[in-house]
Amino acid sequence: MSDSVVFEGISKKFGNAQALQDISFAIKKGEFFSLLGPSGCGKTTLLRILAGFEKPDAGRLYLDGQDITDLPPNKRPINTIFQNYALFPHLTIWENIAFGLRVAKRSQKEITAEVEKMLYLIQMTEHAYKKPEQISGGQKQRVAIARALVNHPQVLLLDEPLAALDLKLRQKMLIELDLIHDNVGITFVFVTHDQTEAMAVSDRMAVLHKARLEQIGTPMEIYESPKSSFVADFIGDTNFLDGTVSEMVQKEYSLLTLVNFPNVLCFNDKQLSVGDLVHLSIRPEKIHISKERPQKHPLHNIFEADVDDVIYKGDHTSFGVWVGGHKIWVNQQHSRFLLDEKPIRWKDHVWIWWHADDGYMLERYKNPMEDIEEMASSADITRNP
Amino acid sequence: MRKQKFCLTITTLVLVFLYLPILMLVISSFNDSRFGGLWSGFTLKWYERLWNEKNMWQAVTNSLIVAISATCVSTVLGTTAAFALHRYKSPMQKIHYSLIYTPLVIPDILMGISLLLFFVALNLHLSLFTVFIAHTTFCLTYVTMVMLSKLQHFDFSVVEAAQDLGADSWVVFRRVLLPLLAPGILAGALLAFTLSLDDFVITFFVAGQGATTLPIYVYSMIKFGSTPIINALSAVILIITFITVCITQSLTKE
Amino acid sequence: MSIRKTFLDEFLLTIPSFTWLFVFFLIPTLIIFGYAFKPYDIYGGITEGWTLDTIKSLANPNYFLMIWRTLWLSSLTTLISVALALPIGYQLACTSKKLRQILLLLIVVPFWSSFLIRIFAWKTLLHPEGAFKQFLVWAHIVNADTSLLYNSGAVLLVMVYTYLPFAVFPIYAAASKFNFQLLEAAMDLGATRSRAFFHVLVPGIKKGIFTAVVMVFIPAIGAYVIPDLVGGSNSEMIGNKIAQRTFVERNLPQASALSALLALSVLIPMAGLSYLTSRSKQLESVARNKE
Repeated sequence: MSDSVVFEGISKKFGNAQALQDISFAIKKGEFFSLLGPSGCGKTTLLRILAGFEKPDAGRLYLDGQDITDLPPNKRPINTIFQNYALFPHLTIWENIAFGLRVAKRSQKEITAEVEKMLYLIQMTEHAYKKPEQISGGQKQRVAIARALVNHPQVLLLDEPLAALDLKLRQKMLIELDLIHDNVGITFVFVTHDQTEAMAVSDRMAVLHKARLEQIGTPMEIYESPKSSFVADFIGDTNFLDGTVSEMVQKEYSLLTLVNFPNVLCFNDKQLSVGDLVHLSIRPEKIHISKERPQKHPLHNIFEADVDDVIYKGDHTSFGVWVGGHKIWVNQQHSRFLLDEKPIRWKDHVWIWWHADDGYMLERYKNPMEDIEEMASSADITRNP
Repeated sequence: MRKQKFCLTITTLVLVFLYLPILMLVISSFNDSRFGGLWSGFTLKWYERLWNEKNMWQAVTNSLIVAISATCVSTVLGTTAAFALHRYKSPMQKIHYSLIYTPLVIPDILMGISLLLFFVALNLHLSLFTVFIAHTTFCLTYVTMVMLSKLQHFDFSVVEAAQDLGADSWVVFRRVLLPLLAPGILAGALLAFTLSLDDFVITFFVAGQGATTLPIYVYSMIKFGSTPIINALSAVILIITFITVCITQSLTKE
Repeated sequence: MSIRKTFLDEFLLTIPSFTWLFVFFLIPTLIIFGYAFKPYDIYGGITEGWTLDTIKSLANPNYFLMIWRTLWLSSLTTLISVALALPIGYQLACTSKKLRQILLLLIVVPFWSSFLIRIFAWKTLLHPEGAFKQFLVWAHIVNADTSLLYNSGAVLLVMVYTYLPFAVFPIYAAASKFNFQLLEAAMDLGATRSRAFFHVLVPGIKKGIFTAVVMVFIPAIGAYVIPDLVGGSNSEMIGNKIAQRTFVERNLPQASALSALLALSVLIPMAGLSYLTSRSKQLESVARNKE
């Protein structure tokens, strides 16, 4: 697949705040691509730069090989679905959808044909002459999509389009978006802070954090092989354990000496050596929990634990268990009718285990709480010399 | 609900207070007697005389000429001013805002006399034109304030949506901004028109001979005339106002 | 449009209104201050040269009385108007939507009808031979020879009548935004109804009250028509004096001097207040950033 959109060294500052720092990556033609990240990470700014509503301080932007950095938004073959839909309140649904075609001075015959086709596609033919205030949120979103797609843009931008919808509607609209993408075949760039949504529909995702690109890849790559602790923590849930590599066991595996935790065997894909500092990430669903002692296995990490939290979530239960001085979260899927299983209860003594391949070693990650604590303690130092 | 009763009582008393003089005026316009004291019969003769009063019609015409022209100019100036104030937050706009806001907080008479002195200094003959200038000046402030408030509640994402769909500045203005802001602009224009028609103090200072507007005509009748024509005129103006206000209220309701 | 904010665009958009107001508002205002320093020409208008005589003549004790009366009448008008506007505004904010619209309409109609006519209506009503006066005499409330008209009382009455709606609207606007559950909360915590009214509602709408005070006081001190039509020789206000100097005596420098005085007495407090409010806003934002 060839590249559709290319960002090269894009940087943008608002006042003193750096919104984007040297962002460079490419989006392939026809991809469903998501920009993911916490609030304030710069993803909306990047989208707006792509749409043409913001100008980058540095860097260039290419669409199908053409430099569009200086092109105003109305000249770009890109259309946007805005977060609040931005439907024209004074125009009917029909006229809203027709707007871009009218601006492009297409003939009335063409406009009518295209608009009717779109209305049929989004199943809003009988609402065509209503005004935006008379239709529901989900319907507004469909109109916004129709209004954008009728112009046959090369890229469709979606700025958190599902944020205003309730859960069930969100799920439904997400599937619809996916279907539309399959039907229409153009490049979609989707901005969201909801990782589940992004993973469900994206061909590839980019995770942004504090103005920088953290990782880019398929949903599975990002979930299963996070390159940084931030990504491991932001996408899905995980348990983090700190320690050092104490010895090498058969070239591919390392034995880790951890803080407040018994030794753990882990797959050594990062080519670390003895003495290196590590941050071990192990996802809750990869850990098994049972009241019976499991059989010993050279590649299994088996530990005794005490159950402190039991959170029932319908399709699975999350257990918070203490091993040594650490609380580990374990997710147990309910693959049989719950009452058939022997339930694990609060304060039970249990066994947890995971395969050495399922643990993941990452660089030491500082989370924001630590930054604040550090600042607080250094402030104390200056006050009490 | 003693507090409620108390507030309701005061409100009712105040409403009576507001309407009593007006009602008395309307009633006495039908009074045959020349002097307001005694009721000597129902008559429409004052209305007849009013209808034939040429000076009154001249004053009405003058008022309308000034009001329409002042409304047009002040609406255009006020709308551009509101856009400037809303979009830009520079030091220039701070000064701009003070210029716009200050006329609101000074008494009418100051504006009247300052413009009079201005015209005198320029040796400009006082006429309907000077009245037009004065009216445009104070209407400008009101139109700007109305438009500014409308702009602040305006959702500008539709402008970006229009650009996104290929519209250049002119198309955005014509197809999106103007239709959506039209009610606000109309409200501002209506306010300017009403203020211009009703203004007395400022007009009094800057009007010359032959530039009598309706309020000036009314004033001279009150001060120097004593015929009950003035009652009839007042009644007519009151009724017209009442109808206009009702219409405007019902229009802005939807 | 959001990214191409050039200085030229701003300049072009600002220039029309800016120029108009600069020429027809700012310069005339400066002229007032200028003319106050010019000598008086007997034939009307001004002559060459500068003098401080006009300013000095302001120190006349008669002026003091007039200025004091102006301030006193305006303050009283403001006080009464705001005091009446509070229960009315509260009432409006409390009533059902339908009744509220009717009440608002009733209050708005006199407000929009000609200001001169309303003054004239009172002039008629208070006329010495009018029906109202006769009614009062019959009811033994007043004597046959007390005059209801052409005195300070009449001026005060008509000023309140004219400016009351100016006080009602801002207070109503503030009251309609007020969260009335706060009053319930206060009473739940033991406050009596009037305590809740004065200690919770009034501070809650103080911005509206402040606007109401400004919207009444400013036109009141500049009142000219009201004292002219219903006031007597002993109820003269600054506005009358300015008009008299301008039209009757054609003494423009004196008129300017008086106008300058009036302007200063309005502008200085306003400037001071806006400085204070911007200072308090600054302090607020500093405090908020510290949190």
